[in-house]
Amino acid sequence: MKQYIIRRLIGAFIVMWAVATLVFVMMRLVPGDPLAAMLFDAADPDMVEELRRQYGLDQPIYVQYFKWFWQVLQGNLGSSIYGSRTPVTTIIAEAFPRTMSLATLGFFFALIIAVPAGLISAIRKHSAMDHTVTVFAFIGLSMPDFWLAILLIIVFAAKLQVLPAIGYVPLSQGFWPWLSHIILPAFAIGVGFAAIITRMIRSSMLEILKTDYMRVAQAKGLREFVILTRHGFPNALIPVLTVMGIALALLLAGAVVVENVFAIKGLGRVLIEGILNRDYPVVQGAIIAVSAIFVFANLIVDLLYGVVDPRIRFE
Amino acid sequence: MPKKCKDFESQTTHDVERELYDAYDFDPQDPMFGLSSRELSGPQLERRTVLRLMAAAGTLSAMHLIPGSNVISEAAAASGGTLKCGWAGVGEFRTFDPARIAQVLLFQISSNVLSGLTHINPKLVAEGDLALDWTVNDAGTEYVFNLREGVTFHNGDKFTADDVVYTYNRSKDPKKSIHGRVIKNVTGVERLGDHKVKITLKAPQASFLTKALERSSGRAMTIVSRGAIEKMGDAQYGLTPVGTGPFRITDHKQGQSVTLERFDKYYDPDRPKLDKIIITPIVDAEPLAAAMEAGDISLIGGNPVAPELVGRFEKNPDINVSIVPGPGFQSVWMNPHIDPFKVSDFNKPLPELMKEKGFKVRLAIAKALDRDQYIKQAQFGRGVPAYGTINPAMGFYFDERIAENSNQQFDLKEAQRLLAEAGYPGGKGFPELTMNHTPSARREVQVIKAILKRNLGINIKLAAMDFPVVADKFQKLDWELTRLGSGGDFDPDDGIVDWMQTSSKFNGRTRDKSKYKFGYWSDAETDKLIDEQGQTADLKKRKELVQKANKITSDKVASAFLFHPMDVLVYSKKVNFPAESRIPGLVDLDRVTIS
Repeated sequence: MKQYIIRRLIGAFIVMWAVATLVFVMMRLVPGDPLAAMLFDAADPDMVEELRRQYGLDQPIYVQYFKWFWQVLQGNLGSSIYGSRTPVTTIIAEAFPRTMSLATLGFFFALIIAVPAGLISAIRKHSAMDHTVTVFAFIGLSMPDFWLAILLIIVFAAKLQVLPAIGYVPLSQGFWPWLSHIILPAFAIGVGFAAIITRMIRSSMLEILKTDYMRVAQAKGLREFVILTRHGFPNALIPVLTVMGIALALLLAGAVVVENVFAIKGLGRVLIEGILNRDYPVVQGAIIAVSAIFVFANLIVDLLYGVVDPRIRFE
Repeated sequence: MPKKCKDFESQTTHDVERELYDAYDFDPQDPMFGLSSRELSGPQLERRTVLRLMAAAGTLSAMHLIPGSNVISEAAAASGGTLKCGWAGVGEFRTFDPARIAQVLLFQISSNVLSGLTHINPKLVAEGDLALDWTVNDAGTEYVFNLREGVTFHNGDKFTADDVVYTYNRSKDPKKSIHGRVIKNVTGVERLGDHKVKITLKAPQASFLTKALERSSGRAMTIVSRGAIEKMGDAQYGLTPVGTGPFRITDHKQGQSVTLERFDKYYDPDRPKLDKIIITPIVDAEPLAAAMEAGDISLIGGNPVAPELVGRFEKNPDINVSIVPGPGFQSVWMNPHIDPFKVSDFNKPLPELMKEKGFKVRLAIAKALDRDQYIKQAQFGRGVPAYGTINPAMGFYFDERIAENSNQQFDLKEAQRLLAEAGYPGGKGFPELTMNHTPSARREVQVIKAILKRNLGINIKLAAMDFPVVADKFQKLDWELTRLGSGGDFDPDDGIVDWMQTSSKFNGRTRDKSKYKFGYWSDAETDKLIDEQGQTADLKKRKELVQKANKITSDKVASAFLFHPMDVLVYSKKVNFPAESRIPGLVDLDRVTIS
């Protein structure tokens, strides 16, 4: 087990290094000079060259890469090229809790929708309830999250005026202020996630319901609730767990758009602003953070297999 | 009507008549319009002086003088309270350090926190801010400023002449500031006493007070706190700058919100009125509108409000929409170094240029742009057709006749004839060219494309790209057509110096100079006129030179000028935004109150 985790951790760091290197190169290959945008309205050529020198952008790409990589190894992700030159670690540290708040609540919404919907759909296969759940799941899957986000704002903020339309309040300022600001964005990103999980739970549960041990449990005269919750559902979770790891990527991708709509500066918005401004250090830092979340979430999911199904052993 | 009201009306009419008579009462040949040099000196111009300058420019009407005729409505209001604002089209406020600010939406905020020696008023005339008054020598090269006494920075430091000198030295250092160009004409800033400084110029500069010393758009001489910078460092100073302005920044969560609180020791005890301002950056249009309609925010600043939202706000009984001419222009740029727009030398006299194929195509496109149609379809009717870089917000300098006498005046038959003469009758054989634009201009370029297709039969491909790409390509001259323009143009120099000289900062700065001799435009006569106007202290003469240069750029099609945007300020009816704070392009909140 220990060896397995060490192997996976080494693999995780290699993946993160590869992603960061790819992004480093790609950012420099796409058109658009960060200084051209920043200084379009202001500077003269001497100033542009001075800043290019200050930021090390006058050096060959491989020199820039090795300098940056050496800094990263020391835990220094550099500073934003723009404006006040805020350290990237500070930007990410501020954005991370916001994205995690959104992702956690979105995940929670997804589960409270998907688990009962998926179970009911499987148990009442081909019933009106099953068809209804299926239709809603397809709507949830096909609805763009930014569109749903705007719809939620129009209904709950502009029309009903029960929830704020924009912004984020940290949990330290109170539970309700925090919750009221992230209900709508979390719901917007959770809906698509819920649709995927619902479908997965349904198909997984249908497989489980056909197994011998489920028939044995029925033959023993166990109550249906006990059969489903103690014998069926935990076994149905294994394929669902696999999808959850992948769906986390969807959740983060959804957050990129939804954070923008709700004016929440999470990791997604950091990334978008960085790309639009060609702010190389910010994009590289944010990508490392996002890839770390993704890689480690998948590692945790893999480790959870052993918890859910004791037959699975890590070697 | 009650007698009191009648008396008031009669008195008002009498006052307006008197002021109009007085404003026009000067010898038309008098270059000073009957004003003395004292009246033209600081700290601010009197109402009579401003009205006379407007009368001289032909821009004064009785509407300007009737109380209550302003678009600004004033709610009954008291001091105090918190104003929540949304800043449109922006994801984060990168810096408020004036030395690094490169966007209008940033100096809209910093103007509430930091002071300058001067600040423009709603007529775009410079008034004293930290400068109490000033004198100018006869040559126009030495300005002596008496500074306000008893002014303190937000950190408690006293403001003195040393801060002016420090700000100047910091701004001219390319390692610390991106605005050295603005003060290139300044040869020295000398401390004459605790509250007296002398600024010496290489040559007289007409825009010195309104551009170089201006606290918002100028930025180079926006006074910064040496003590705070040394203590906080440049990075933190950019997030929470310390100034002498009416509000101090108490919290800045980058990308989330910035909080401004009333500065109790501001030099004017009557300002600011509000206790607190919370400003949130909002990228998308719909959430911005929803936040405004839901009352989450009460005022919108930042980038121009999306045209499609303005009508919606106007219909809302709880929202005020104030629309005034905006300080900027937008153009369709045509690369003169490639076919079919090729012009090898703009210095040739106009009749000679008119014979060239490339020029005919440029002029055909400029004349085929039905600006009224464009403004109706792309801007929902809000905008002024443009024929040059000098915008109507500049009032005194704006040439109202240019719409009638510009070579670019809309004339469909003439445009079609020119295109046919250039070898493309009905657009046949015209190459499919690409127009670069930013994603936010998507609707506008679709309208331009449709107009050119309908009027000239030519096809244009549209290429949306992020601003850094558009900017980079524009400066390298790596484009065929580009839809781009300017905002925050308060002085003629912001238009003609920045865009229309051979050495202008936008004019192909990073182009391959061995390949392209000049940028998108170069004309020696225009260069000379622009240099001359920049050194002219005589306002009337400056106006003539500005308008002459502007006309040449229009006639010789430096670009196909499209429109001057309107400045739209959206705020709740609970907000009292007084007329004296309604400066086009800025959002000064020191006099604002909420009911």
